[in-house]
Amino acid sequence: MALPVTYNVRNVFVRWRTTGFTVLGVTLVVAVYVLLQSMAAGIQQSSGNTGDPRNIMIVRKGSTAESSSQVTREQFRLLPYLPEIARDAQDRPLVSADVIVLISLPRRDGNGEANVVMRGISPIGMELRPQVKLAQGRWFTPGKRELVVSSRMGGRFANFGLGQSFRTGGKELTVVGWFDGGGSAFDSEIWMDTDEARSIFDRENYSSVLVRLADGASAASLTNHVETDKRLGLRAEPEVAYYAAQTKSASLFVFLGNFLAVAMSIGAVFAAMNTMYASVGARTREIGTLRVLGYRRRAILFGFIIEGAFLSLIGGVLGCVAAWALHLHFGTTATMSFESFSEMMFRFRITPALVIKGLIFSVIVGVMGSLLPAVRASRLPVIAALKSV
Amino acid sequence: MTTGTFILKNAFRNKRRATLSIMSVAVSLFLLVTLQVALREMTVPPEDVGSALRVIVRSKVSIANLLPARQRPIIERIPGVEAVSPFSWFGGKFKGDEEMMFAQFAVDPKQMPILSPDFHVTPAEYQSWVSNRNSAIVGRLTAEKRGLKLGDRFTLSSIIYPCTLELTVAGIYAGTTDDRNMLFHHKYLDEAGGADGQVGTWWVKVRSIDEMQRVTDAINKTFENTSAEVRAETERAFALSFISMMGDITVFIGWICFAVGLALLFVTASTMSMAIRERMRELAILKAVGFRLRELLGFILAESFGLAAMGALVGIGGAWLLYTHTRTASYAIGFVSVGLLLWAVLLGWRRHFLAAALALLGGGFFGNIAFYVFTNDTIYKLTQGFLLTLDVTPKIIGIAATVAAALGILACVAPAWTVARLSVVKGLKTLD
Repeated sequence: MALPVTYNVRNVFVRWRTTGFTVLGVTLVVAVYVLLQSMAAGIQQSSGNTGDPRNIMIVRKGSTAESSSQVTREQFRLLPYLPEIARDAQDRPLVSADVIVLISLPRRDGNGEANVVMRGISPIGMELRPQVKLAQGRWFTPGKRELVVSSRMGGRFANFGLGQSFRTGGKELTVVGWFDGGGSAFDSEIWMDTDEARSIFDRENYSSVLVRLADGASAASLTNHVETDKRLGLRAEPEVAYYAAQTKSASLFVFLGNFLAVAMSIGAVFAAMNTMYASVGARTREIGTLRVLGYRRRAILFGFIIEGAFLSLIGGVLGCVAAWALHLHFGTTATMSFESFSEMMFRFRITPALVIKGLIFSVIVGVMGSLLPAVRASRLPVIAALKSV
Repeated sequence: MTTGTFILKNAFRNKRRATLSIMSVAVSLFLLVTLQVALREMTVPPEDVGSALRVIVRSKVSIANLLPARQRPIIERIPGVEAVSPFSWFGGKFKGDEEMMFAQFAVDPKQMPILSPDFHVTPAEYQSWVSNRNSAIVGRLTAEKRGLKLGDRFTLSSIIYPCTLELTVAGIYAGTTDDRNMLFHHKYLDEAGGADGQVGTWWVKVRSIDEMQRVTDAINKTFENTSAEVRAETERAFALSFISMMGDITVFIGWICFAVGLALLFVTASTMSMAIRERMRELAILKAVGFRLRELLGFILAESFGLAAMGALVGIGGAWLLYTHTRTASYAIGFVSVGLLLWAVLLGWRRHFLAAALALLGGGFFGNIAFYVFTNDTIYKLTQGFLLTLDVTPKIIGIAATVAAALGILACVAPAWTVARLSVVKGLKTLD
């Protein structure tokens, strides 16, 4: 068994001119697959990584995203007195009323404008989101026209440098700090004081309310309280669950990745088959010799299947390397989120599982491509094969 | 034997290889067309006759910010403005739907014929729409999809306004670039308590093309330093700003197209060089009996070009069929599936059990696809709700065909080079 295997494996390199093209084809297939899935993984990670398990988010019934929700001041006034809500040392309820405003801002590279989520938060809102940390500068001062931006957004939009300012809603806003959202959805946001934001953007209502559950209080009971109160017309949901569901944009990449992988791999299987058939045809005499030496048909069959798998595994490895290099090159990227209608930052995320998937995928392509040629090789009549030129 | 039959016989002397090559080219071109079509769907703003004279006014903060209704008379007084209508995206979910399936806009019906000359609806239907505040007119495509007829009633619950509207179908319109939308009275939205004296955007019709720039500037200037600053721009600029929001994804799809094209080149190039290497001896004989080099190169080019062309026919044609005649495509795929299954039976009869099993698998695979396409016979269902139509435009067919042609030529560069340098004696000695 050992000889046919080394023989077959070495053949991949000996006939590199024929095999090279097929290897490159598989490389491209795997690279495209891994890269697209890594985008989906990046989006899923950032939305799955957002929120605190003790928080409950309250939005208007019927709204699908925070940005399209409205919570009136009357509704908001009723909320802090719910018994399930935690209170801090000064006995203030841990409740933050946020207002979400989409702001259209120019990109730094001059490539048009994009919508950015501006979140107005109450001072207590920062306490409720411990995963967001200040990276540079300072937090905004409530009541002032100051804002902090995510450090990942900092590089992508014009005037997001510390101390820089830009005009929106007819007012001048100054960037005083950069924060790090820790790989969460907050990395796609800019923050300022909620009441200041409401006055600048002329908003009577808040968009959403975030509350912290008291120790031992049940989320279900709070949700029930909020949703059955007819005066409210609001919907409550764990913050984590709300963000985890915001992966509609990821599904696009998953779909695109799977679709391309299947379609491109069909082409790659054909290419691998072609190469392997040619390879078998050119080596008829060698195969005959192996048979005469006493190697069984089975050994020849597996030898050639291994050759095909190996050939395409090289492509798979190269594809993963290419995807890795590209993912380092791009690092963070952004696209429009289908939920919030705004720029969404995410990292390419190549997980070990993804690499293994890519490699398995390439091996499958190789095995499928070499199966028929291998069968043919194993069935060659010995004497005729030896005589062939 | 004529030159034509010679080339044809050569191309198909190894039927398996020819088929495999054609299929791999076809698959790649199919993909290329698919990606191009999807990219076009995402990046090319549709245009109609009226769009050159339309200005869209939105909040300077962003499209998601609303504008006060009091701006309307001010815009109407600007010289050069012919008509103004609010245009508010409602974001409604059709009764019973989980998702928003089509866009609805609240407008001023009286201004619509002026604002959008492409918008065709019968005078009677238009009159009934204008006179009934709780009625809507529906785009032809949506009406067909939903089976909506005149007089049908339905509800829309908005994801952005806190209200649910009950509407009656007053008419069906057609003729615009997007006959999927639904239009209803802005007054009804105001009454229902949703709009709160605000509108989404203003649509402004300008009298003549020369006045476009002046009117646009005037609108921007008028609301400068007010509490609701605006951005007025041509409809085209407005549509392009949406594309700019898509961010990097369009760039990625461009890259993927490039990767597919490259993979395609590799495959075809490797096939061609295999085909030529296999017959070095024959080519040497042809050279020896007096064929000129350019004739030999002609043979190679014709063969490579021919394979690419056939692949193009199958791939581009298949994509066109699937995206524009989805139902028919499902029959075609079903046909392939049945063919493979019959072949499996035949192979089994001849005791080629492995091949029969594979043909069976292939038949099952295509059968599944055919069934899937048959049951999801719209682009909306096929793309899992991401796209509504996929138009295979002549331009895209042209691009794909050009790629195929270029491929046919590029793939034979390396073999042609080998043949050109081939010495007769050496070629005759070649073994494989």
